[in-house]
Amino acid sequence: MELLYRRSLGPVVGAFLTALREQRLLGSRTAEGRVICPPLEYDPDSGDAVDDLVEVGSAGVVTGWSWVAEPRAKHPLPHPFAWALVQLDGADTSMVHALDAGSLDAVRTGMRVQVRWAPERTGHITDIACFEPEAS
Amino acid sequence: MAERCAIVGIGQTHHRKVREDVSFAGLLREAGQRALDDAEMTWRDIDAVVIGTAPDSFEGVMMPELYLADALGCAGKPIMRVHTAGSVGGSTAIVASHLIQSGIRKRVLTIAFEKQSEGDTTWGLSGGRSGGVGAGGYFAPHLRAYIARSKAPEYVGWMVAVKDRLNALKNPYAHLKVPDITLEKVRDSPMVWEPVRRLESCPASDGACAMVLTDEAGGDRAPHKPAWVHGTAIRSELGQFPGRDPVNPKGGQDCAADVFAQAGITNPRKDVDVVEMYVPFSWYEPMWLENLGFAEEGGGWKLTEDGVTEIGGDLPVNCSGGVLSSNPIGASGMLRFAEAALQVRGQAGEHQVDGARTGVGHAYGGASQFFAMWVVRDTKP
Repeated sequence: MELLYRRSLGPVVGAFLTALREQRLLGSRTAEGRVICPPLEYDPDSGDAVDDLVEVGSAGVVTGWSWVAEPRAKHPLPHPFAWALVQLDGADTSMVHALDAGSLDAVRTGMRVQVRWAPERTGHITDIACFEPEAS
Repeated sequence: MAERCAIVGIGQTHHRKVREDVSFAGLLREAGQRALDDAEMTWRDIDAVVIGTAPDSFEGVMMPELYLADALGCAGKPIMRVHTAGSVGGSTAIVASHLIQSGIRKRVLTIAFEKQSEGDTTWGLSGGRSGGVGAGGYFAPHLRAYIARSKAPEYVGWMVAVKDRLNALKNPYAHLKVPDITLEKVRDSPMVWEPVRRLESCPASDGACAMVLTDEAGGDRAPHKPAWVHGTAIRSELGQFPGRDPVNPKGGQDCAADVFAQAGITNPRKDVDVVEMYVPFSWYEPMWLENLGFAEEGGGWKLTEDGVTEIGGDLPVNCSGGVLSSNPIGASGMLRFAEAALQVRGQAGEHQVDGARTGVGHAYGGASQFFAMWVVRDTKP
């Protein structure tokens, strides 16, 4: 098995992933003031270039989720977890990531969650190890 | 009668070995923005987008048109993607022109692109296996057969390389520039695939090309002189079948005959002012001169030898430096079409052919089996 592909991410998605190394989360702000996170280079509504990067919070709200009762080898967690859409504080869109909530009963739409950072960060989306219920 | 189609905006990137600074979307946007600027339009003014690129295996992005729709301002608008291997840039422009000529759309943006640096073309061509012969290895026997049949001297291939590399020096967007190019330098460059030497072959490039096409009213209102489409033709044939002649494919002959008939061209050698042909290896210049009807069979190389295909010659070919100088594969065909249009608009800058009024753009792809051509002029059909 070979895979010879590389990716150039450009100034917006590249900046988002690079900032993860420093435990910072960036979104792109459109001309109308919407904050897209993870950021897009071009506003999907207008097609305009979006190069205004703003920092958003590392905690947010679950807007949708799906329970994974039997994780597979390539999944980010070895025990049951949820794939969740998380709208971070200050963002107007949601990102999909793993949510380590312990049990199915503990997950609900509208719950507050926060980033659990990976101990070693390399500028990949896996620098966010997963989300977890927000500490109260 | 079909609606007339005008080319009112043309843009391209500076073609490079690697464009690490931009994403796929960023690369397309760069060419698209230049075409829109030329047309004095914005992304919002466009009714539909038609894009083209080489097979997905080259870069490993499956159906990039889905991801690119938002980035190209297509929310709520039609976008489609064209697939015809190396000829795709030409076919894509033709599909866009048909959306105009059919009266379905008034303003169409068409973009073709390749980011060869993100994948491995030889690997992609061999279905994801290492050890493939690549495009040069596949085409080399056809070139040897042409030389054997036509008795062309070996230096004709070198002459094509020198001409296109000198032309590239006049094109600010060209990728490969070899300022001190000479016949000796080509002759002494390493043999890559007999009879193709290194300086007789194309580079691998990242790049994109875009055009804005409009209906007749749009052409009349255009801020800069438009080019007008006088004929479009596409032909395909199987890559292998008994009796097929890959040196002078029937598909290419038929494509040329069709497009010339549409444009009222009876003597291509005389009636055409400038040609942009798909020449990724030097010997394709004489081969396509014959295949497209610019020369008798066996006589193409004599036009090259006599300097007819140089800027200032009777039938200048690849004044931009051609595929030999820039090869973002998916975009290479559209670059031929766009460069032909630039010439008849009088906008080709330093590589402009004085008084060019009828231009031909040509692209081929696959196993010399997909062909696309258009004829453009400075006047309405």
